Amino acid sequence: MKKFLAMLLAMVMMLGCVAFAETVNPDDIPDTVTAEDGKYEIAFVTDVGQLKDKSFNQGTWNGVKLYATANGLTYKYYQPANGDQATDDDRYDAMKAACEGGAKVVVCAGFMQGTALAKAAAEYTDVKFVFIDGWQLGLANVAPIAFAEEQSGYLAGYAVVKEGFTKLGFSGGGGGTNPACIRYGYGFAQGANAAAAEMGVNVELKYSWQYGASFSASAELQTMISGWYETGTEIVFACGGSMFSSIVAAASANDACVVGVDVDQSYESETVVTSALKGLSSATAWAIGKYYAGEWETVGDVATSLGANNDAVGLPTDTWSLTAWTVDEYNALLAAIKDGTVTIDSTVLENDGVVNVEFSNLKVIYE
Amino acid sequence: MDILGWINQAITEGTIPFLIRQTLIYAVPLMIVALAGVFSERSGVINLALEGIMIFGAFVGVLFVRSVQQWGWFEAAYKAKDWMTLQSFSLLTMAVTAALGALFAMLLAFAAINLRADQTIGGTALNLMAPALVLFLIRILANQNTLQMATGDSASWFMLKESYFGFGVGRGVNKTPSMGFLGQVFVNKVYPMTYVCILIFIVLAIILYKTKFGLRLRACGENPQAADSLGINVFKMRYAGVGISGALAGMGGFVYAMTTANCTSNGDVAGFGFLALAVMIFGNWKPGNIAGAALLFGLFKCVAASYGSLDINGDGIYMLKEIGVSAHVYRLMPYVITLVVLAFTSKSSRAPKAEGIPYDKSTR
Repeated sequence: MKKFLAMLLAMVMMLGCVAFAETVNPDDIPDTVTAEDGKYEIAFVTDVGQLKDKSFNQGTWNGVKLYATANGLTYKYYQPANGDQATDDDRYDAMKAACEGGAKVVVCAGFMQGTALAKAAAEYTDVKFVFIDGWQLGLANVAPIAFAEEQSGYLAGYAVVKEGFTKLGFSGGGGGTNPACIRYGYGFAQGANAAAAEMGVNVELKYSWQYGASFSASAELQTMISGWYETGTEIVFACGGSMFSSIVAAASANDACVVGVDVDQSYESETVVTSALKGLSSATAWAIGKYYAGEWETVGDVATSLGANNDAVGLPTDTWSLTAWTVDEYNALLAAIKDGTVTIDSTVLENDGVVNVEFSNLKVIYE
Repeated sequence: MDILGWINQAITEGTIPFLIRQTLIYAVPLMIVALAGVFSERSGVINLALEGIMIFGAFVGVLFVRSVQQWGWFEAAYKAKDWMTLQSFSLLTMAVTAALGALFAMLLAFAAINLRADQTIGGTALNLMAPALVLFLIRILANQNTLQMATGDSASWFMLKESYFGFGVGRGVNKTPSMGFLGQVFVNKVYPMTYVCILIFIVLAIILYKTKFGLRLRACGENPQAADSLGINVFKMRYAGVGISGALAGMGGFVYAMTTANCTSNGDVAGFGFLALAVMIFGNWKPGNIAGAALLFGLFKCVAASYGSLDINGDGIYMLKEIGVSAHVYRLMPYVITLVVLAFTSKSSRAPKAEGIPYDKSTR
């Protein structure tokens, strides 16, 4: 019974956050505040890439800002030194700085923070850590939060094939070892295949982890994606932070399309048809809220995986631009995923793992 | 298949236009920045600061584009797809980056010419200063590590597309015919600033060799004492050389940011400034050779990034991918080629005689 109540409360709080997000634009909340006593209660340590990557970091940061401003708390972000080449020591130093700076909750974004986080959390046992895209570290003060990215990727893949695209691309960050990106990509392939099988068409998917190992934009990535569009690819799933910029540049030059990632990226470019979402902002706010509600034990060292059942993944319906596939059909598919009628394989297939999967109507071209 | 048929298929189906366009995108910033090096060194000042000036130019250009967008100057033209007006915006930005690049290079000129400081150290100092300064300013301005355009992307603002001229519009059977081979190569999906750069390159190369000014400038890099004895002001000439160098490098930095980085600045131009130095030496301080070297490097750079999409003869087979060579090999190629050619040509390479030596009147 207690567990049920806790769940219920969690759901209510999450819904509350969602509703709140609609009324306040997180971009209007300043990124820096000045605390009178120099202490910042809620801290955010960024992943590789940047704070304002308009994607993963920014989505998480928005959750921090929304919760903090709604509750009148001070907040601060810490970017580990050395940017894209940040080491575990750099990350640890950032976490240490956050703890020394008076943080009660430190939100750490990205699975790469694991090693540093284990060290920092063991040292600062009074401080609570929220580990986004993380796993259990065996420390009671770390709350790991993962997402079912494969569901979100599935929805996106299904949507674009239903919309009529038959030549797809997937360009993922992290060099083929980032679990979140891998789940997105594999889910995208599964969704595309499912829709193609239903429609009785054959679909092609170019699949690449080249460039963007550190999620950054590059001239080479832009050239490679331009080459894809030039040779017939119609839409590319830009799966990774700042890489988006290179892919959009290529898409815009070729009047082609893009699928955004993590947050609704249709505001960034007209080329974005839809985005594979995960509820970073609401999940972050939800986990921080657990601490302030005195319920940390419900998330601390508990493997929380948020998926369709928690309304934590999906496509943005407010900015729906698809015409051949409607919001109602989307909701029906989402419901099917929720009740388990549609099952999605969430295996983490590293590197070229997806090549070895048998798809009925999808041809994967690994590059 | 007969040769004519092969050529015909390559022209209608192949990816040659794509290859040429992308090669130019890599080659043009290299070319123009290498020429920047030539102007400075031919006047007698080693300009190692090309990388730093490029970084600074890229920052100034992106900041200018961003600010103008925020002021809304070209909003109407963008909405109306008035590409002529938008091109004047890009020309304006090029002029601004050239002016500020020249200004930035004056730091080197002052240290090298007036203070007679070691030019290598002066250039290195600028290289260290530029990314630090730029990142510092970006942090203040945007609260992040990258400065971007305020709205839209570089292609929709500054790129020419065949649809602007009524070609290739619409979908399916209603689609109007595309521009054809030459149009695809020279007009569609091209940044006109690429051509502006090529034009500037040609004009400046002619000035360097065919005008009195060019002759005097070169004289100051070979034998400043002799030039001075004939009444040429060596200081002025060297200031001019470094100034032109800074203008070209600043502009090159912006062109790089616009065409390859979606008009963003992050205190980095991927080492293009140093590559340009290599291209300059590679090209033996001569504009013609430099253009060739830059094109060679650009071609291999383009092949490395897009080998999986290259189909020269349009038969649907992507040969470079099918032969199964690792992607890393393709990515090594541009640098290996540069090293090999440098190894073979460096014997005949001839740097300006007086470069790197501060001019001292008393040594006449």
